[in-house]
Amino acid sequence: MTEMWSHEYWAHKGDVKLYMFRKRLGAPVADEMPKPILFLVHGSSFSGPTGFDLHVQGKTDYSLMEKFAEYGYDVWTLDHEGYGRSDSTDGNSPIAEGVRDLKAGMDVVMRDTGQTSLAFYGSSSGALRASAFAEHYPDHVNKLVLDAFVWTGKDAPTLIERAKKMDIWTASNMRVIDKPFLLSIFTRDKPGTSEDGVAEALANAELAICNAVPTGTYVDMCVNLPVCNPTKIRCPVLIIRGEHDGVATEEDLLNYFNLLPNRNKQFVIIAGQAHVSHLGVNRARFWHVMRRFLEMPARIDSSSL
Amino acid sequence: MWWLKRNGYDLILASGQTRKYSFMLKPTIVRDTKTMSDQITHMPVDPGDVTGEEHWARRDDIDLFLFRRYSPKARAASPDKPVLFLVHGSSFSARTAYDLDIPGKGDYSLMKTFAGLGYDVWTMDHEGYGKSSRTDGFSTIADGVEDLKAAAPVVEAATGRSAFTFFGSSSGALRAGAFANACPERVERMVLAALVWTGEGSPTLKKRAERIDEWRATNRRVVDESAYRGIFTRDVEGLTVAELPAAAAAAEIANGGGSVPNGTYIDMCINLPVVDPLKINCPVMIFRGDHDGIATDEDVLRFFTALPNKDKQLVMVTGQAHNTTIGINRQRFWHALNGFLSIPPRIDN
Repeated sequence: MTEMWSHEYWAHKGDVKLYMFRKRLGAPVADEMPKPILFLVHGSSFSGPTGFDLHVQGKTDYSLMEKFAEYGYDVWTLDHEGYGRSDSTDGNSPIAEGVRDLKAGMDVVMRDTGQTSLAFYGSSSGALRASAFAEHYPDHVNKLVLDAFVWTGKDAPTLIERAKKMDIWTASNMRVIDKPFLLSIFTRDKPGTSEDGVAEALANAELAICNAVPTGTYVDMCVNLPVCNPTKIRCPVLIIRGEHDGVATEEDLLNYFNLLPNRNKQFVIIAGQAHVSHLGVNRARFWHVMRRFLEMPARIDSSSL
Repeated sequence: MWWLKRNGYDLILASGQTRKYSFMLKPTIVRDTKTMSDQITHMPVDPGDVTGEEHWARRDDIDLFLFRRYSPKARAASPDKPVLFLVHGSSFSARTAYDLDIPGKGDYSLMKTFAGLGYDVWTMDHEGYGKSSRTDGFSTIADGVEDLKAAAPVVEAATGRSAFTFFGSSSGALRAGAFANACPERVERMVLAALVWTGEGSPTLKKRAERIDEWRATNRRVVDESAYRGIFTRDVEGLTVAELPAAAAAAEIANGGGSVPNGTYIDMCINLPVVDPLKINCPVMIFRGDHDGIATDEDVLRFFTALPNKDKQLVMVTGQAHNTTIGINRQRFWHALNGFLSIPPRIDN
């Protein structure tokens, strides 16, 4: 059986160094059949490998990177500016900065693999970063999965609550994260949608590398939405949403969905899931839906028959 | 097989009345040893032992033809896979739509494909279609619901399951949806393809309604190669093979048809909506081709929005017109259908 292989990289956005992490089955070898690449984009409150490569003692299958590596993908993620192992600046790392981060990360992927167009997955404000990236660099995105996404933010319970603390988010470019805060992400929508111990493991992993994250995506989500324009996205899109996700209303997401011009598009709601799909108790349903979207057979045209 | 010994039973209606149902299993067992290619990603290879069985249901004095395909090997390998009941639309009988064979052109039978995947696949000719009884009636959507009510106990007797996964295309989606409204306990999951809800803004229905007097003047219309060519090219050309209209017309004759009732056309022109999404309790996937004039995106989106069950998917796929099951990109449809039907079960913590 082929071993799980991983590697660290550094992307350079001007003087800012961004940490990248990659997992796949087996080390790359020259002239191999290229594996499809899946690039995972993290959200506002924890970094890339913490969320996407989580290992929970006594439990299995919490690493989204390893799961899709097992499915045959070459899986990459990146810590955005100010997150995890990446450099901090005096900026607050808003969505627009995240697009520049992804471009720097994309350059590393292209240099290392030769592939120029990838599948992108983003969760929460990571979905905002990924969709904004797809608008600006359509040639680099062949499929887009937007999970726990929000478009205009209208009537979103989570954002109404978040906006009450706008003075804190704007007072500094960074906000402190601690264990109670990280645990609250998993209970704010619907307690019981994740297994005991998972939020704790995530909090421990993140707090081992940092104790603060930038405020930019919170500010964007509270006062600057919409930051994405669906009419500019060219590739197929999957919008996936947990049943209990307060970050957006269904109506807001359906309005976005309706404007996507590529008519290969899917809107999927998963019962029994909340905001963090990939760490939920029903994450296997999420993997299933995402994989089926990514592996839709290619379109045949009558000229090829 | 214990159900062979039975020749009917009584169904007690909510009103207290007893309705008699009878059925018989004809001894026709069709063995099909053709090996299908493994064209769907991550799908098991067809074991090549897909069988065909004819069954009959009875609604009042109407005999209804049912057809079943399954693979004993694939069923043994995945015994939990559901009974998949396919509901046909306005212009094809069941096996023309879902069990078509076009030699040399690849796999066209949705029944064989999904039987090979381990599903227990059923379909039925509605009143006035295919091998089912011809009547003076129009075989409306409401009649289709009654047909499905009569079929359900037959399927239950043969399979031991009391609730099934339903797939319906076009007016078949309306029959299936209306049946889910009427008998939610029989519908565990549902896939609606080529769906229209209110019909508002629908190019196909606008054109169809121009001939409403014709549809109402008589209860039947002829379906032949020319009619099928019109259906396959009305949205866009090039998304079906050139051989399809002739193959469908020949199959329709072989399957006992050649003409079809007008009731669903009339319903779609002047009686929509006939399905209430708020009263569909089960998980639902809506599948929509990019060139389907039967409905607007907005109409379908509003139906989707109203569905109360939070397991729901709206899948839009390019390279598809109205007839998703027999288009050149039908594998994309199979992939989406199998994906929805094979989602891991929900865990409650």
